[in-house]
Amino acid sequence: MKNSFQITILCCNYTNLAEREDLASLLGKIEIKRYPCSGHIEITDILRAFKEGAKAVMVAGCSKGTCHNQKGSERAEKRVLGAKKILEEIGIEPERVEMFYVSRLDSGDFVEKAKAFYQRVLSLELKERAQ
Amino acid sequence: MIIAERRPIPEILQNIEGYEKVLVLGCRGCVAVCSAGGDREVAILAEALRLARTLSGKPLEVLEATFIRQCDPEYLEPLKKYKGEVEAVVSLACGVGVNLIADLYPEMRVYPGVDTSFYGANLSLGEWVEKCRGCGDCIIDKTAGLCPIARCAKNLLNGPCGGSQGGRCEVRKEMPCIWHEIVERMKRRGELEKLMEIWEPKDWRPAGGDGLRVRIRDDLRLNGGN
Repeated sequence: MKNSFQITILCCNYTNLAEREDLASLLGKIEIKRYPCSGHIEITDILRAFKEGAKAVMVAGCSKGTCHNQKGSERAEKRVLGAKKILEEIGIEPERVEMFYVSRLDSGDFVEKAKAFYQRVLSLELKERAQ
Repeated sequence: MIIAERRPIPEILQNIEGYEKVLVLGCRGCVAVCSAGGDREVAILAEALRLARTLSGKPLEVLEATFIRQCDPEYLEPLKKYKGEVEAVVSLACGVGVNLIADLYPEMRVYPGVDTSFYGANLSLGEWVEKCRGCGDCIIDKTAGLCPIARCAKNLLNGPCGGSQGGRCEVRKEMPCIWHEIVERMKRRGELEKLMEIWEPKDWRPAGGDGLRVRIRDDLRLNGGN
């Protein structure tokens, strides 16, 4: 399954300092794209990640109340909801994109949530492949 | 403004099923203000169409553009350059824009990307409510500025009906009974007796009962309108 299973993580540049190496234990490809603020992540960015081969997209922003731009991560959550609706309309499980609020400047929290999301998506993938 | 809502993507995909290159065309008028057909929505729909078609194994090339308006021939001029370049246009303008493209560019295949809903006001972020039905014969001078044609579920001219309870509409309880509000407002103004006047029957011809509605103002036309 290595290199055949890609997860793209779209995140605020300032929530954490995690790198791909921190997620090296996960099989497959982990793509991390950073933005000046998670509020800058658009629905189009999420859809494009899927078009570029991602099997799932994790959006990560600062915990509520800690966003440097006040409401950036809350905007990101709205965009994730918008993307879920579109994915559902075109036949992709909406669970393949999720918003995560992560502790600001805590890479550990980010890595933990990324690994948990990976496991959830892996289950979805295995279920799909078994059908 | 005119309120519209994006059509379900499967319906749009069905309309453009046989094509390999389309234009998603937005409008910076009303549909941009109500977040249904402006630049951002063009980008989102275009990306969604590309993704859906990639997944179905029939990739689609999608061009994106947004015009200032689509309800005016002058602003539709730039569409000429797409003639022969794309096989179809998915317009995110209201039905006026789609119709005008169909009129002016009969050789182009144009499909609606939004459903045109109503004339409404933007009451808060993400909330639009109907205020006018464009019936062409305003009676709101007699009803304290509140329109019973658009805002009464039964379009009553002599409400409130027997079903309104506590100032709420019986058809949709979350909505106020507009006739209740009209009566209360006229009472506060000391003008309640005006509602006792017998009105002339409402003229429904301007509402479309007399066929296609056209308005011509000779004072604005030069060279016969050309």
